[in-house]
Amino acid sequence: MSSAILMRNLAKQYGTVIAIEDLSLEVPKGAMFGFLGPNGSGKSTTIGCLTGLLDPSAGEMEILGQRFTAESVDLKRRMGVMPETLGLFEPLYAHEFLAFVARMFGLDEATTRTRVTELLAALELTDTRKTLAEFSTGMRKRVAFAAAVIHSPEVLFLDEPFESIDPAGVALMKQWLRRFTEQGRTVFITSHVLETVERLCTAVAIITRPGKLVWHGDITVLANDGSIEYDGQEFRALEPLFLHLTGQHYADLNWL
Amino acid sequence: MNLDLLGNLIRLRYRLLWAKTRSRSGKIALFMSGYLLLIAVIALLAAGGLGAGMVAVRTGRATEIAALVLFVVYACATIGTVILGFGMNAIFAESEMRRYPLGARERRLARHIVAMLDPYWYLVVGLDLGLLAGLHLYGAGFFLSGAVAVLLLYVCNYVTARLLSTIVERLVARRGGSILLMVLITVLVLGQSFLITYLQKHPHAAGPYLAWGKWTPPYGAALAMTRPDLSAVWGLGLILLWTALLGEAMVALERRPPRARAASSGKLQWGSRYERAGAFLGPQNAILIGQWLRFFSRNNRFRMTTTISLPAVGYMIYAFTRQPGLAHGPKGAFASAMGVFAVVGFIGTAQFAVNQFGYVGNGLRRYLLLPADPAVVLRSCSYTFALLDAALIVAALVVWPFVSRGPFDPLMILLLAGCSLTGMFLFLAAGLWTSLLAARRGNYYSSFGNDLSFAGNVILIGGVMGLLFLPPIAASRWPEVFRSGYWWVTLAAAALAAGIYRLSLDRAGAWFRARRERLVAIMEGRS
Repeated sequence: MSSAILMRNLAKQYGTVIAIEDLSLEVPKGAMFGFLGPNGSGKSTTIGCLTGLLDPSAGEMEILGQRFTAESVDLKRRMGVMPETLGLFEPLYAHEFLAFVARMFGLDEATTRTRVTELLAALELTDTRKTLAEFSTGMRKRVAFAAAVIHSPEVLFLDEPFESIDPAGVALMKQWLRRFTEQGRTVFITSHVLETVERLCTAVAIITRPGKLVWHGDITVLANDGSIEYDGQEFRALEPLFLHLTGQHYADLNWL
Repeated sequence: MNLDLLGNLIRLRYRLLWAKTRSRSGKIALFMSGYLLLIAVIALLAAGGLGAGMVAVRTGRATEIAALVLFVVYACATIGTVILGFGMNAIFAESEMRRYPLGARERRLARHIVAMLDPYWYLVVGLDLGLLAGLHLYGAGFFLSGAVAVLLLYVCNYVTARLLSTIVERLVARRGGSILLMVLITVLVLGQSFLITYLQKHPHAAGPYLAWGKWTPPYGAALAMTRPDLSAVWGLGLILLWTALLGEAMVALERRPPRARAASSGKLQWGSRYERAGAFLGPQNAILIGQWLRFFSRNNRFRMTTTISLPAVGYMIYAFTRQPGLAHGPKGAFASAMGVFAVVGFIGTAQFAVNQFGYVGNGLRRYLLLPADPAVVLRSCSYTFALLDAALIVAALVVWPFVSRGPFDPLMILLLAGCSLTGMFLFLAAGLWTSLLAARRGNYYSSFGNDLSFAGNVILIGGVMGLLFLPPIAASRWPEVFRSGYWWVTLAAAALAAGIYRLSLDRAGAWFRARRERLVAIMEGRS
């Protein structure tokens, strides 16, 4: 199976601060890939590089078999991104924002209207009197998700997609994402909700500070009550494996 | 009153001011020099006040002249806050203050005290104190009552400015409010112009107007500064009365939540008038320009500045071509008009053109994720301003024949159009660079406050002042240059400015690509 995303010795530095260090990773086409790590480990920076927002300090990236740089406009058209900060234009109404994104990705006016209307209805974003600034955090996330998928991309990058969304919304998104990968498209997700990642993803990569890959592999065995062996230990769930790899801290504050 | 917490908030406000500067390499020196400059300006203003005090005493009409000076300072400070947003950067919003253990009254007091301690107000107090010192030195001032009057007047001035700003803000936020504001300003500006003209012809009619002036806070302060008797107490009481009344109105207004604009119906509206307007500059730009137009059209500050710019332009044309000190004869008047028309070329969108991405916040990240060259995004925003500026230029050219003095020559229109286009292109070119190199994150939802960087303010205020005052000065020195026979010079200048703009667009595009990470960090509040 050919790769949808390929990183070779990717590095990103801000002055003397290393955000990603020599990261090499391959994500096959059609995978539901979880990219995990503690806060500040470089997940969003990696997505930033993979989506053209940031210039890597070193290394190479390939998306859908083509070399990717910030100038790869044609490749960007085949990608969908839901950034962690959402990137919304707050004074706009949801349908205006989605229509703008759709038109920029090359959809014609009629298709744009159809898709925007369908997405808004499916994601229960039907309150057309509210601007995006007046939406709740969860609703804003739904809009950002809709903007990422509106042009049917081949590769989807989702940075913390499930946080703040209600269970019904998460269930719907998971259903869509599964169908997405069944069609041979690729999903690259970062999340701190390990239970969701465990149930949804077929493979994961775990990085630690500063952006260093410590483990990656197939996790489908966990869904079938199997276990993953690492460091001479057996892990029956993703959370203990994650904590083992990234370190677990305890602090006892007697006043708390 | 929780004074400890209030002290902490004031310290935090200054720490934030300092941190903003410290976070940028090499800006500490600029910050220091900025404050040295501020001290120098305060000294200069105080000296100006000193001189005014001296004049007041020598003419034997100390109270009247002191009142006039104080009134001018009061009015300028109020206009400076409403139009340019100085002294209105309330660092803590009501919602932010609610996280602290403060009651409603304490929160309100804390917010306003922190806002009153903005360095801008030091300039106002500096000038008023200078006047008091001048009066005192020349034997016509009473320092203690005068100092109390200056402090009370400072509070009253702040409350006036805040009340007026809130009224304008609420007005603009309402449907049709921008139009109403434009009408009000036009009436006010034209009324004032007609009143001045009328009083120049009928000086005896000025009596009743001057009598009203005796009930204003500046007159009260002048009384306290110059009279040793009960008049001083009356003066202080007058300021207190005004402060109490205006303060009460301000609090009443703040208690009423602002009414948000809402869509007229629950139906999806697919209006594409913005995109149609954007298509004027080519179909490839229509979607992005349409997006910028929609984005800015919902911004209170943008609506307010573009709305105010229309009557302001009319007033500038009217006033600057009749200003006795500036417009010497028809040539001087026309030179003034040329300067005004150069300002017309950018004044409507100037605050935004020097900080293009200042109000998009996280939206900048979205622009960079689109399948488009970042340079296209930068260009489309600049084109949006050019489109709006062009509309204002046309409006000003239509108005010109009706307000111009002297015989009308059609070539004048060409000359003035050339001036406007030169001003527009040069300002937009400068705006591209300040947007990239001196960008600052602004608050989209605040109608007031000066969100521009130091460079942005220099370009904006320096550009306006330079263009308004330099042409009449040049006309008085080289009158032969300001002949309509030289109409082609302004068109050549416009062509040159267009070339500079074009070059800036090309170069700035590459700079935007290189600086995009930094700009995203600034707009997302991480730098």
